[in-house]
Amino acid sequence: MSDAAAPILSVRALSRRFGGLQALGGVDLEVARGEFRAIIGPNGAGKSTFFNTITGLIRPDGGRVAFAGRDVTCMAPDDLVRAGMGRTFQITSVFADLSALENVQVALLAQARQSWRIWPRAGAMNAERAAELLALVGLAGSAARHAGTLAHGDQKRLELAIALAGEPTLLLLDEPTAGMAAQERIESISLVHRVALQLGVSCVFTEHDMAVVFAVATRITVLHQGLVLAEGTPAEVRANPQVQQVYLGESVIAEGVGT
Amino acid sequence: MSRLRAIAAAAVLVLAALPAALSDFWIFIAIEVIAFALYAVSFNVLLGYGGMLSFGHAAFFGVGAYAGALVVKKAGLAPEAAFALVPLAAMAAAAGVAAVVGFFSVRRSGIYFGMLTFAFQMLLYTIALKATGLTGGDDGITGLKPPGALARPAVYYFFAITMVAPALYVLYRLVNSPFGITLRALKANPRRVQYVGVDVRSHQLATFVISGAFAGLAGAVFALSSGNVFPAWLNWTASATPIVMAVLGGVSTFLGPALGAAVYVVLEVVISGRTEYWPLVMGTIILALVLLMPAGLTGLWRRKGTS
Repeated sequence: MSDAAAPILSVRALSRRFGGLQALGGVDLEVARGEFRAIIGPNGAGKSTFFNTITGLIRPDGGRVAFAGRDVTCMAPDDLVRAGMGRTFQITSVFADLSALENVQVALLAQARQSWRIWPRAGAMNAERAAELLALVGLAGSAARHAGTLAHGDQKRLELAIALAGEPTLLLLDEPTAGMAAQERIESISLVHRVALQLGVSCVFTEHDMAVVFAVATRITVLHQGLVLAEGTPAEVRANPQVQQVYLGESVIAEGVGT
Repeated sequence: MSRLRAIAAAAVLVLAALPAALSDFWIFIAIEVIAFALYAVSFNVLLGYGGMLSFGHAAFFGVGAYAGALVVKKAGLAPEAAFALVPLAAMAAAAGVAAVVGFFSVRRSGIYFGMLTFAFQMLLYTIALKATGLTGGDDGITGLKPPGALARPAVYYFFAITMVAPALYVLYRLVNSPFGITLRALKANPRRVQYVGVDVRSHQLATFVISGAFAGLAGAVFALSSGNVFPAWLNWTASATPIVMAVLGGVSTFLGPALGAAVYVVLEVVISGRTEYWPLVMGTIILALVLLMPAGLTGLWRRKGTS
């Protein structure tokens, strides 16, 4: 079923149209195990659609998605997660009415296939592991707080802990630093990077901030108008004239180099 | 904890002593409170814990009541045997109907979910009204009587408690279980809960069926006390009752809706005994209560308790 030699993620000719807009025009992507892949591109390049199509939120019009050698095209989100593909959202998505600890517990219970047990008290179940995961993302002191009352950055950390509770082998992070101040962004992506290395999780992330991208990405894929414009190591992408063309005027890449 | 135990012990004593202190009429009302407490709590598992506002919950209360009545009247069993079968038959029938209604309704959320439950309820109401051979049509099913000593309100009262207390305990365990915490997560963020590996529709459907089954039990417990069942029990206006009870008592607590049921039933009895304009008075009182206590009666108590 799961092939150890296969790339962790292999996308072939993925396409999706919204009315007159070709959001994805046949995207190919291959991610090797252990990669920390950045997907960049200007607004409207199709990054979020790409993520949502891979993770079962949007059905593709065409193309295939293989996860660890297994065809998962059109698979339901809950099945994908149980197969080991976790994700976070651009707009932070936690369980606001639950405590931080409960947020992680819900994910651990689902992972252990215990969500259907109606008799035991959930309170202590997996509480230790949940506390460990909170500590891992630096939220040890906030376990009892309602998730909705946490600061934005802490909610992002919590969402990471929720995603990690599913014991993913691949983590898709849609703009993990959205809405953060510049300094906080680097801290945040470094946390993701450190934790991913520690747990052996491969990562794919979209990002606007080039400083963040160049700080951690092993490879970069550039999307433009629903197509892959370029792919390579950070140095290759930075030197690519087409990429420079797309980002001309923004000069973000040049800024990113300096940081 | 010891304070909670003391309150629980006091509640048990009061409940046990109640029939001795009350007239048959008020025992009958107490039975109504007990049945509607289960009805309101079962409804609130759906609303308060699952975030699903059903406009058709009376359908399951009604189906349970009819199922119980039919077992007593038409199954051709000895009265004792038939009576013993009533709770099971009521829960099974209500669960079965809830499975069908829920299967379609949980495919939508918010107001559309509500509209689907509403439409199914109108369908079931029409069946209760028109399938005269089975349901007696507009006349309903009357002359229901529990066997032997159970026909006495003071005895039936304890039977009602024997049915309702374990049912409430099961629901209490449910909302505090992994299933329950997952349900609360689903209410808070349906999309996120998918991405921790939860099948949202199945979880919602299971909740809907469990909620419906216990509403059905409540319906049967009440039907055999009142001695009759009418199609109006399934009418859409009847579905407002558990909504009002739950909101009145407080949807964010487990027993709040039960308290809401008690206040609602007693208010209705007291006021309708004094004026024919009782809906006007009831409406005004409920309006005042909801405006003054947005978190319900239990919300007020909890706020006091924490300050």
